[in-house]
Amino acid sequence: MIEARDLAKSFDARVDGKRARIVAVEQVSLDAADGRITALLGPNGAGKTTTLRIIGTLVRADRGSARVGGIDVLADPRSVRAQLGALSDARGLYTRLTGRENVAYYAELRQVPRAEFDARLAMLAELLDMESLLDRRTEGFSTGERMKVALARALIHDPQHLVLDEPTNGLDVVSTRALRRLLLHLRDAGKCIVISSHIMQEVEQLADEIVIVAQGRTVAHGSADSIRAQAGTASLEDAFVRLAYESGHESRAEGRK
Amino acid sequence: MSAAWTVFRKELKDAIRDRRTWLIVLVSSMLAGPLSLLLLSTFISSVEESAARREVYLVGGSSAPTLVNFLERAGSNVKDAPADYREQIKSGRLQNAVIVVPADFESKLAAGESIRLDVVHDDTATKAQPAVRSAIAALRGFNRELGMQRLLARGVSPQLLTPLEIDEVNLASSQSRGAQLLFLVPWLALLGAVVGAISVAIDVTAGERERGSLEPLLMNPVTTGSLVLGKWSVVALCSAAVVVLTLIGFRAAMLLVRSERLAALMQFGIAESALFIAMLLPFSAMVAALNMLAATYGRSHKEAQTYASYITMVVNFAPIVPLFLSIRDAAWQLFVPAIAQQTVMMRGLRGEAVTAIDVLLPGAIALAVTAIALLAQARLLRNERIVFAR
Repeated sequence: MIEARDLAKSFDARVDGKRARIVAVEQVSLDAADGRITALLGPNGAGKTTTLRIIGTLVRADRGSARVGGIDVLADPRSVRAQLGALSDARGLYTRLTGRENVAYYAELRQVPRAEFDARLAMLAELLDMESLLDRRTEGFSTGERMKVALARALIHDPQHLVLDEPTNGLDVVSTRALRRLLLHLRDAGKCIVISSHIMQEVEQLADEIVIVAQGRTVAHGSADSIRAQAGTASLEDAFVRLAYESGHESRAEGRK
Repeated sequence: MSAAWTVFRKELKDAIRDRRTWLIVLVSSMLAGPLSLLLLSTFISSVEESAARREVYLVGGSSAPTLVNFLERAGSNVKDAPADYREQIKSGRLQNAVIVVPADFESKLAAGESIRLDVVHDDTATKAQPAVRSAIAALRGFNRELGMQRLLARGVSPQLLTPLEIDEVNLASSQSRGAQLLFLVPWLALLGAVVGAISVAIDVTAGERERGSLEPLLMNPVTTGSLVLGKWSVVALCSAAVVVLTLIGFRAAMLLVRSERLAALMQFGIAESALFIAMLLPFSAMVAALNMLAATYGRSHKEAQTYASYITMVVNFAPIVPLFLSIRDAAWQLFVPAIAQQTVMMRGLRGEAVTAIDVLLPGAIALAVTAIALLAQARLLRNERIVFAR
């Protein structure tokens, strides 16, 4: 169970060489239940990555609260991290280590027993179709190959909660299918899964719950059907465009009053 | 603690597989130290040889048998100067002085007249100086001997002519004269500590962020303190490895050294090696921590390199400052890292007494700086601005 209530976050960043205040998240809420795949759907720059970083304890929210498995992310970040498997925006590997060594590093940091590590890696390697990657150094891996290793690394401790930031970015069809297979497998095992995406078809195929985020705000949530009904459109894409762009502007304007 | 150990083993494996690590270790420690020492020893032994041969070159020596006889009695090997001796001295082919004797030497000598002798040499030829000095000293000896004989022949005591009897007592012990040149030895070892730390320090900090592995790493349920501790151990180990290899290089070069004089001048035995290690290990710990801290601020590998190079520059120049100001062993030097290490190691090389305070105080300061730098870095890794390089 992952809950986020009215999250807000802004920070200074360099824009065109000058420091500027950036409002990344203004008011985002979401509820992700166990045994469900919840998708954060929104255009680029909507605040999806920052929301996931707040849940992953890397970023402190200015306002609002987030809980993972009932634990507040600010109160006990280490316990939150312990039960979280995260694929972050940055998913770099150590290029001088093999795929197996990359995963083993995280397994050791999370104190996964050796036997459990072997069994778990074998299972993940089969599901992700990556046996051939394990004993090669990761230097020169393709995007898909890198993502598979990063995903195995994030899941090696069998976390109850998964937070995956744009997991299909740069993947080919075969890899996307492998990922989808894995996520459905984990969902059926009762895991709580949150993914972010800006690709409609992917979300429609995969997600049980959809949270539409636009310009730092949650503008709609529910199943694909209920969102279509809410927007009064026949396709999810039309609903998304209407909710994310049209009502997004309205609610942002309201928020500024 | 177990997390720090995990980080240590992973970073060590990573560093060992990095070709750059080996290039730096091999080039800096196995080449720089021994090579400079061998150059020094070649320099010293050629000085030594020209003095030992005690050659005196004369022009017109055949017209001055009395002088030649005196020089040979004094143990010099008298030779005729080559015809083009001026060119040879200028070009450095002849590393000695040439004494030009006038043709009327013997007749003037017999008449008791003053004789003009030219001693031709090049002031800037450093290697020739001992030979030049000994040639001039030999001529003064001739002056003195003949003068005394003449006074005695006239019944005058020669002591009347020499109210002052000057005896030079050079307090520079033979070890201390060697140490003037050997200031390079501790200095290169200090540089080795920095050079050994720098590339690994950047790789585990700015490099980690640049390749996008910092964000996922920080999502593991471990403290930033244990991450920093594990990473620092590897950087400090690399730095210490370069130091130890540099010192081994010096020892090996000592065995190859041709000059007995250098071998006698330079005390670099077991005790000195132990002193060097005791001074340099805390120093390695410190430069490792400082380099990591500086590199953490770098948004990219390149920026990190710039910041780390400031530290290299300081360590480069600090030990030379007292040398230029010709300050010798003031108390404050023990409190300034790099200068303290250089000063105490030089004392060891000069064969002077080194007290426990000399070793412990700079060591304690270095370790305190290390601890502060590591704590600061653990804090930085909890700072969003640093983690996401905003």
